[in-house]
Parts: sequence; structure tokens; C-alpha cells
Amino acid sequence: MELFETPLPGVGVRYEFTSAAGDRLGVIVRRDARREVLVYDDRDPDACRATIPLNGEEAATLVELLGGTKVTERVSDLRHEVEGLAIEWVTLEPGRGLTGRTIGDGRIRTETGSSVVAIIRGERSIPGPGPEFELAAGDVALVVGSIDGVQRAHRLLTS
Amino acid sequence: MVAVSSVSNILIELGAVLLLLGVCGRLAARVGLPSIPLYLVAGLMLGEGSPVALEASSEFIRIGADLGVVLLLLLLGLEYTPEELSHGIRTNWLAGLIDFGASFTPGFLGGLLLGWGTVASILLGGITYITSSGIVAKLLADLERLGNRETSTVLSLLVMEDIVMAVFLPVAAVLIVGASVVEAGLSVLLALTVVAVALFVSLRHGVRVSRLLDSTSPELLLLTVLGTTFLAAGLADKAKVSAAVGAFLIGVMLSGQIAERGRELLSPIRDVFGGLFFIFFGLQIDPGDLPPVVVPGLVLAAVSAVSKVSTGWWAARHAGIGPRGRRRAAAAMIPRGEFSIVIAGIGTAAGLESELGPVAACYVLILAIGGSFAMRFVA
Repeated sequence: MELFETPLPGVGVRYEFTSAAGDRLGVIVRRDARREVLVYDDRDPDACRATIPLNGEEAATLVELLGGTKVTERVSDLRHEVEGLAIEWVTLEPGRGLTGRTIGDGRIRTETGSSVVAIIRGERSIPGPGPEFELAAGDVALVVGSIDGVQRAHRLLTS
Repeated sequence: MVAVSSVSNILIELGAVLLLLGVCGRLAARVGLPSIPLYLVAGLMLGEGSPVALEASSEFIRIGADLGVVLLLLLLGLEYTPEELSHGIRTNWLAGLIDFGASFTPGFLGGLLLGWGTVASILLGGITYITSSGIVAKLLADLERLGNRETSTVLSLLVMEDIVMAVFLPVAAVLIVGASVVEAGLSVLLALTVVAVALFVSLRHGVRVSRLLDSTSPELLLLTVLGTTFLAAGLADKAKVSAAVGAFLIGVMLSGQIAERGRELLSPIRDVFGGLFFIFFGLQIDPGDLPPVVVPGLVLAAVSAVSKVSTGWWAARHAGIGPRGRRRAAAAMIPRGEFSIVIAGIGTAAGLESELGPVAACYVLILAIGGSFAMRFVA
């Protein structure tokens, strides 16, 4: 499957692809959490038959329904295997918590005893980010520690 | 010491003006038009020769209008990330050049044909060149065309226009103060250097600059960003490179989260002061001066609409867009608005050519409304 990426200055990025059944679909990834799902028109390949605006929560739900969160499946497996060890995926929100600051700024390890062991940014994963690593909105941080420690780290990261 | 009665008069007049802007904006939204033309009409109605004259608040409105221009340009700079700007320059410079040649020329020649001086004609060229990114972006979203494939072509042309504005405004400012060819050349170089340095700083150190000014408190963020912007705008004005450019460059240099939140917090403030700016521009024009410039305004509008349509159509075809998409892209280039008025405002403030204001008002009224209808009904 070929995915096309087009920058939309002032708006965000548009991704589009043609499905095996021949439908052309696209998604506008806005700079904030908003998304637009696009269904292109067969008769006019440049226009959209439908444009569906979604807010952050709706987009996240849609992704889950589509089964995109393989990561969560894997995590729930992990949780069964390792008792007493808490693992949590924390999504950074724009303008809150440690968004725009470094992991070191939050003093997570000192304050909570838990660690940020990886960051998922878009399609990239960054294992073992250092204290100088700067967090951005939309990053997903994998936090590992005691149940209590992970909860406190979650608060540090998001509020 | 301000007398109590004068304060009450200022409040009453200002209240009436803001309320009028509000009513105009609502009316515009109801009929699906951009609000700028209605703000202009409101200004014209309140201006010279009108039964209700603004007296007490005129000074405040004048300063408010200046702040409006600064905020318009700051938000324009915040609109695009440094990456989008530098990507725009690298990939769209040819389209940008064609766009400039095609739509600057009608205004410039039109000015000369009207018997204006070179500087006023150059300003008129700028007025016919600059498509209203505000009107177009709003309509593209309202008409649900953001996902269309031709939209990225339209948006990248608009980015190029904004970059050209960053160079055009300081050059115009120098020409207005009556500089020689050499001085003008030097100022072009200076402007280009400043823009390049600003882009470089924001690409390399944008994160650091932004973190320095960033704050989680909206109050502190607003105070720091507004303070920095007004300071830079004032210094730029002192250096005769126009306050607007200083504000634009500050906008360009802020990136990431602070830009995101700055846009959110500042947009409503810009809309209030921007509204005052359009009213103020209308106030300076005697409606009686409009009828004689209707014909030149119409001719300019027709010629520069055709030139923009051709540019949009060509750019869309170049990007491999089909015939219908090309028509939509062509129509999306027509609307003129806020920045044409900004350019005209600079000329009027300098007392360049008495017809410049009326012609620009007439021209923007025609193309803001006509262009919006063209975009709406082209499909």
C-alpha cells in the first residue's frame, strides 16, 4: 500500500491512499489533536465526497475501533506476565504537563521512582530517551515503575 | 487629566463602533460572506460627511488600527511554521514568481495609467497582487475543501505570497520616505537579509527562543508575546522598515507550542483590533470620492481576477490536478482583503495619492465579495 504525504501549510499534513477495493481515502492531521477523515470522489478525483471532522477523543476512539492500537494489546499481555510492575502509556497533551520540556525538567525518576523507557512519536519509536529529550504534544511515553510511582509520573507528564 | 465627560464619550462611541462591527460580522456570517467588506462599508458610513461623526474616540481608533495591523502580521507569521516557509521557498519559487508577475503588473500599470506617481503605482501593484489568505483559508474550511487535492497547491501559493509580502512591505516603506535607487536597493538587501536571518534563527534555534518566552499561564504568555511583538514592531518602524514587518518576523520566529497557543490566544484580539483597522481605513475615505473610482476599480478587479485565475489554473495543472480541481484552485486565488487594505493604509498614512484609498476600498469590496462568490459557486 502506497501512502502519499502532502504538506498543507497553515493546516497540517494530508495523507492519502487507495484501498485494495479501489476507494481513495485520506486523513488530514492537523497541528492540534483534530483530524479530518476524507473520502474522495470517484468522478472528480481531486474533490472529497465526504469530509468528517473529528476531535482528539473521537479520533482516538476511531483508531481503537479500527484495531490500530497493537501497542495496547501488547501492553495488556505484558501486564499479565509481570505482577507488581506497572506499565503505562501516557499521551502528552498540547500546552500541559511536560509538553515542550525535557524529561529531565520533570525529575520523574527522582520524584516518582519510575522511568520513561521509550517514546513513541508518530510512527517512530525512541527507546531509552535521555534526560535532555524534549517531549512534544502527541508523544506517547512508556512509563515503567511501581503502581503508585507510575500514577505520579502520569500526573507529572500531563498536568 | 481626562475629564469625566470625555471618558464617557469615548466609551459610548467605542461601544457603538464595536457593536456595529459585531452586527456586521453576524450579518456577513448569515449570508456567507467574509466580514472584511462589511467592516469597510461600516467605516465608510461613519466617515466624512456622515451624520454620525466620531469625535471623542477617533484617537483611540487610530491607535487601535495601528495595533490591528501589527497583530494581523504577527498572526500571519505564526500561521506557518519555519519549515513550511523554507519548504515553500524551495519548492514554489517559480509559481510564486509567475504569480507576482501576473498580478502585480495590472495594479502597477493601472496606477501609472491613472497618472499616479511610481511609488503609489507600486503600492497598487501590491494591492492587486496579494490574495487574502484570511478569506481563502476560512472559505476552504467552510466549503470542506481542505482535503481536496488542489488545496495544497492553493495554500503553497499563499505561503509564497506571504514571503513576498515580508520583502515587499519594507521596500515600499523605504520608497515612501523618498529614497534613491541605491538606498532602495540597499533596503531590499537589508530586508532579504533580515528575513533570511529570522528564518535561520527560527529553524535552528526556534525551540530555544520559544522556550524562553513560553509559559503555561495564558496571561504571562500573552504579555511576553505581545510585549516582544510591539517592541520589535516599534523598533522596525524606527528603522524605517515598517512596523508590520517586525511583527511578521517575530511571528515567524516563534515556533512549536508557543506558536500553537499564541495563535489560539491572539486570534480573538487580532479580530477586534483588525476590525478597528478596517473601520479606521473606511473612516478616512469620503464616500463621495467613491463614484469616480468605480470604473477604474472594476477594470482593475476584472483584469487582476483574470490574472489570478490564470495563475491558479496553471499551478493546479502543473501539480497534475484535473479540470474541475483546476477551476476550484483558480477561483480560490481571487479574493483580496486584509493585506490589500494594509498596503493601501500605509500609502494613505504617508499621504501619497488621494485616490489610492478610495480605489483600494472599491477594489477590495468587489473582489472580497466577488471572489467569495466565485469560490462558492465554481463547483
